[in-house]
Amino acid sequence: MRAIAIARVSIRRIVRDRTALFFIVVLPVIVILIVGAAERGFTTFRVGVVDLGAGQAGRQLTTAFEHSSDLAVSRYATLAALRKAVARGELNVGVVLPSGMDVTEGRGGTVAVGVMAEQANSSQQAAATAVSSVIAGQGAKVQAARFASVHGSGTFEENLARAGSLQPHVAQVGLRSQTADSSHNVLPEGFSYSAPTMLVFFVFLNALAAGASIIETRQLGMYERMTAGPVRRGTIIAGETLAYFTMALLQATLIVVVGGVAFGVSWGDPLAATVLVALWALVGAGAGMLSGTLFHTPEQASAIGPTAGIALGMLGGCMWPLAIVSSTMRQIGHLTPQAWAVDAWTSLLSRSGTISSIAPQLAVLGAFAALFLVSATVRLRRVVA
Amino acid sequence: MRNAFVIAHKDLRQRLRDRSAIVLGLVAPLAIAALMSVAFKGSDTFHFTMGVVDVDRGPVAAGLLKALDAPGLRQIVTVKTIASKRSAADAVRAKSVAAALVVPAGFSASIEGGDPLSLVTLTSVNQTVAGDITSSIATSFIAQLNADRLSVATALAAGVPTSQSAHLEALAAGFQIPERAVQRSIGAHKLKTISYYSPGMAIFFLLFTISFTARSFFVDRAQGMIERIRAAPVRPLEILAGKAMSVLVYGVASLGTVAVITSAAFGANWGAPAAAALLGLAMVVAVVCVTALVMCIARTQRQAEGISSIAVFGLALLGGNFIFLSSSPPVMRTVALFTPNGWAMRGFTDLSTIGGGLGTVAEPVLAILSFSVVAGSAAALLARRAVAA
Repeated sequence: MRAIAIARVSIRRIVRDRTALFFIVVLPVIVILIVGAAERGFTTFRVGVVDLGAGQAGRQLTTAFEHSSDLAVSRYATLAALRKAVARGELNVGVVLPSGMDVTEGRGGTVAVGVMAEQANSSQQAAATAVSSVIAGQGAKVQAARFASVHGSGTFEENLARAGSLQPHVAQVGLRSQTADSSHNVLPEGFSYSAPTMLVFFVFLNALAAGASIIETRQLGMYERMTAGPVRRGTIIAGETLAYFTMALLQATLIVVVGGVAFGVSWGDPLAATVLVALWALVGAGAGMLSGTLFHTPEQASAIGPTAGIALGMLGGCMWPLAIVSSTMRQIGHLTPQAWAVDAWTSLLSRSGTISSIAPQLAVLGAFAALFLVSATVRLRRVVA
Repeated sequence: MRNAFVIAHKDLRQRLRDRSAIVLGLVAPLAIAALMSVAFKGSDTFHFTMGVVDVDRGPVAAGLLKALDAPGLRQIVTVKTIASKRSAADAVRAKSVAAALVVPAGFSASIEGGDPLSLVTLTSVNQTVAGDITSSIATSFIAQLNADRLSVATALAAGVPTSQSAHLEALAAGFQIPERAVQRSIGAHKLKTISYYSPGMAIFFLLFTISFTARSFFVDRAQGMIERIRAAPVRPLEILAGKAMSVLVYGVASLGTVAVITSAAFGANWGAPAAAALLGLAMVVAVVCVTALVMCIARTQRQAEGISSIAVFGLALLGGNFIFLSSSPPVMRTVALFTPNGWAMRGFTDLSTIGGGLGTVAEPVLAILSFSVVAGSAAALLARRAVAA
């Protein structure tokens, strides 16, 4: 009972601090919203088009881009503005419709449509290839009109209209896409990506930052005062552990609820998700208490804590999927608990995993939680003594 | 003004004695930049292996294989021949190829008929870019076949007798689609991950100065330091100016050191030194003004810590220090331009990609200074109250 009373006091101190509430409640939700919105749209390429006086042919090609489900098209007034947008990464690819496109096509020449994409940039190259196939599809009508004008009858314009009306009815050589490997090793896009990764990131980060409250408690001499009464060291440590675990669990639960209700995140198998959340809260509680015993001043905790939390989050795949880094970095990443937690969420959200499929990750997280909690307990016993 | 220098000198000495200032100003941004540099090493280039299954063995399939060997494609694709569709699917699952393209049996023969067969791509959900590129390469190749078929159909519709179909098909095969994509130079350097996040992290940790300075002001006040200083002939604005100067020196030293080390050690491109220095200086001035504003708005140390923490993370998130905002929806890019660090990130991005000198950063510097004037004026209006309190 005394442990619960100690936990209640610690939690009350944290909850009274509006700044802490901002970091526990508001900040994670904002980050989930921003990262989720930014990570959307991997399936469509952002294409910018500048028309240098291409005429009707240019307008038709632009319409063809707009009708392509792979492309999201924006128009630019000048070549310089388009260049800047591609260089900044605001666009995956820039398309330059040359002047006199109409005239060149009418005269039987070949039109070179400029495509601006960085050769060493994978998404820009993929976008350029998608744009090229739309250009080729549009050019098919011009070829057909020119061919019919040479070998059949009628003017180029008449045959261009004829080719346009025939195109939907001529049986096409098609392309069928089959998924050979449907076992996802990354989280889904959008909020289903940002919510679980930010849960892992913020529960740990806030726990580290909350370590400052143990330092304050130490500095205020509260542990000495508690031990002056009939309170054992074990009870104090149990109370602090309970407080840190409750706060971590509350934050994780809040992110799960907000993610599910506001952002439509499906958290997968309920039992597996509950165990994972609880275990991660234990990892966070252990890390938080450990930081409270490792650092000497609240300033150190607030300087080194967030830095360590951000670095571990990056290494562990909270900021970007570990699937995109080298295998060495992936192995290094798995020295952090974050990587195992993100792996478990990936299994639950992307592969309909169950508690048995994430058992290895849960075991590793359990080991991390035990390591942190035991180390923190040993150090805290010294502090309280 | 001398008083302000004395206060700034005292603040700087105090700060340098505290190791957390060194951690935030130097160690943290360098550690995270190093981490990013290692994490994304080699990911700036993209190349994948595509499996090709030719069950058809006809002339069209041969044309496809030849097209796949084009010099332009070799930069991004290595073609690996695989015997059967099943083996190709296994290879995709085993990750020995990122995607595969299958030319089915009888494909060449079917092209001349009324019911042509389809090419098949085998993809992995984990290799979407490779899958998209494979599909686009196949689509580009198919486009020529479909253009030839459309040419024949249009010629027939334009009055050529049906009996000449075979002749027309042979003629159409010699045509080429007259609209083609040609690579055009962007006229800019590639934006490397390290070149974006080096200034991003340096500015993020620079923002922490707001918290440190605001807290030190209230600690000074609680210890009666401000009252003692005011007992001397020191004006309230001089106290604020002293605090501001210490932030300025600390900020310039931190940003400058991080810029030099990340450029030399990790190959980050901060752009032309003079322009980068001006942009960095403008950003430090903005931090000084925001710090002054926080000190003037807050009434207690607790409030100062709260407001500054929210300001630090709010600005960093909205300004794009954490997230590469260029690929986010336009509304988020617009919101970023209401923050000084959002403008600074845009300026550093432009310097590293488009290049140029002072002209490139003129707009961002003006925007950051406008922000600073607004924040600084508000702080000046509230300064007397804050120091007197």
